[in-house]
Amino acid sequence: MEAVRNSLDFSDFPRIDLLIAGAVFFLFLVFPLFPHSSFAISTMIQFLMFSIYGMGWNTIGGYGGQVDLGKAQYVGIGAYTTGVMLIRWDVPFWFSMPIGMAIAVIWSFIIGYPLFRLKGHYFAIATIATSLVLKDLFTVWPFVGAARGLEISPVQFPPPDFRRLIFKDDIHYYYVILGFFFLSILYMNWFRKSRLGYQLRCIKDNEDVARSLGINVHWAKIKTYAIATAFVSMVGSFHVCYVKAIEPVDIMSLDLSILIALMAMLGGAGSLWGPIIGAGVLIPLKSYLKEWLGATAGLVGIDLILYAVIIMLVSAFEPRGIWGIVEKARRRKRR
Amino acid sequence: MDILLGSIVAGILLGMVIALVALGLTIIFGVMDIVNFAHGEFLMVGMYAGLFTAQATGMDPLFTLPVAAVVGFLLGLLCYVGFVKFLLRGPIVAQLLGTFGLMLFLRNLALLIFGSSDRTIHKGILVGKSFDIGMGIIVPATKMAGAGLAILAFAAVWLLMNRTKIGKALTATALNAQAARYMGVPTEKMNALAWGIGGGSVTVAGALIVNFWAVNPFMGLLFTMIAFAVVALGGFGSVPGAFFAGLVVGLIMEIPGFWDFFTYTFDWQWMADVPMTSFKYMWIYVAYFVIMVLRPRGLFGWKQ
Repeated sequence: MEAVRNSLDFSDFPRIDLLIAGAVFFLFLVFPLFPHSSFAISTMIQFLMFSIYGMGWNTIGGYGGQVDLGKAQYVGIGAYTTGVMLIRWDVPFWFSMPIGMAIAVIWSFIIGYPLFRLKGHYFAIATIATSLVLKDLFTVWPFVGAARGLEISPVQFPPPDFRRLIFKDDIHYYYVILGFFFLSILYMNWFRKSRLGYQLRCIKDNEDVARSLGINVHWAKIKTYAIATAFVSMVGSFHVCYVKAIEPVDIMSLDLSILIALMAMLGGAGSLWGPIIGAGVLIPLKSYLKEWLGATAGLVGIDLILYAVIIMLVSAFEPRGIWGIVEKARRRKRR
Repeated sequence: MDILLGSIVAGILLGMVIALVALGLTIIFGVMDIVNFAHGEFLMVGMYAGLFTAQATGMDPLFTLPVAAVVGFLLGLLCYVGFVKFLLRGPIVAQLLGTFGLMLFLRNLALLIFGSSDRTIHKGILVGKSFDIGMGIIVPATKMAGAGLAILAFAAVWLLMNRTKIGKALTATALNAQAARYMGVPTEKMNALAWGIGGGSVTVAGALIVNFWAVNPFMGLLFTMIAFAVVALGGFGSVPGAFFAGLVVGLIMEIPGFWDFFTYTFDWQWMADVPMTSFKYMWIYVAYFVIMVLRPRGLFGWKQ
């Protein structure tokens, strides 16, 4: 009960934040009632998915300060578990998603144990390496469709089907992911005030001090890594039902891992709203740039060039992200 | 038996070129503690530079190395002065994502300009020729020449680092930047120089690799990971370490050849069933992971 009350308690934010957040979330709720293009709603779903990814990454990367660039492997594990279980044994989404999370968490414990002996750059590159190993394995494993991947056929599983999460209309998916989104925010709100959350911030500031205070640094990191993994794997499961196909080169690519980290960093790592802001800026920008410049003007790659320039500018000049700018402005005002 | 020997020779020849690829990364890392994700993209730039110089002037591709070196030196310098300098002030996550942004930028710029198709060199003195070095081992002449030139380039960088004043200043910056600054070493210039040398050596490697490897805008990441594995094995910041680790990684890349050898020798069906060529690059990542976990300093490294 204590945990529930804690997760619903947002009283330590300034009132203006809560008003803006409430208004925006209300807009999310009523958004599909207004006329909209299918492109807009798929962008919204992408945005919600990536803000959950970002929130997951934010636990270990933002609060804990461990730069993890291998999250795509857990997206893959979640997606493959749901996809394979649905196609081979007709297991509904709501059962296979927790199983996928469990598998991903077990895998994260197995590789997290050696992984967290490393620090900084070495850790970051090692996470990439594990992700790429898993991708290569899945690309040749015939049980999961090897290089061709999986496809959920609408003939075998006719929509609409809430248990298997197969719909024709994007609105249903939108509300499902919106539900996950709100739950994730509540969980993150609890997490940042939990014992582990404070321990992590201590580890980020100074690991030796954390150790001298009696925090089991290694175990705290592994636990947080598992939490981040569960988030990411959950959305991975959703992703396969939404897209209805898996391609190993896409779903476990390094680009996805980086994108996840980027969301949180652009918005402001280590803050509750950061990943949401980051995803809210980047995802629409990305999909509209691709639509206008890539598809319409026929300039392949120019959307990613602009995108890369944004990454470079942010990381060089404002590494604390958009939320960092807001906080700086506030501090100046208070003075 | 000749499969085994052939694989070993091929692995060592490839390893020498790979050592040159990793050399730039290890210098940059040693001097300023920053991981350059765009390293493979620098290599790609070197490959394109070698390719187009050869096509434009009609020179043999092996003689385009100076052009590639100049291009790489300027590219490294430009990246440092225009971008990386600002990254160094930020936290580690900003550094990682920043150089990743650089990688994305270069890759897609190449995609926009050159298109996504594979490009190869078709003509040249050595292209298509090969030596028979006895015992049934046939070595393509381009690889042989590439390995030889790689050793020369490596020796040049080693001499620069160990026998000149500039090299001493670079080493001093790497060991302790603040102390070096007190001793009058212009560390800022040394950082820029490290990026220049790093870029130059990797583009030279690119101009060598283009002789036997097709170039397209997406090939950078693979070489970035290979270079990371080499640097991890040899020790971050160690020049001789990079050379020996390059040879080891070159042999790791020939694992499918060894696999074939054992398959034929023992005639085991299960070995023939494993699609080893699809796992070709996976062993590099596995090697990186295992090395980092077991011995984070690498074989010759001095940085923890």
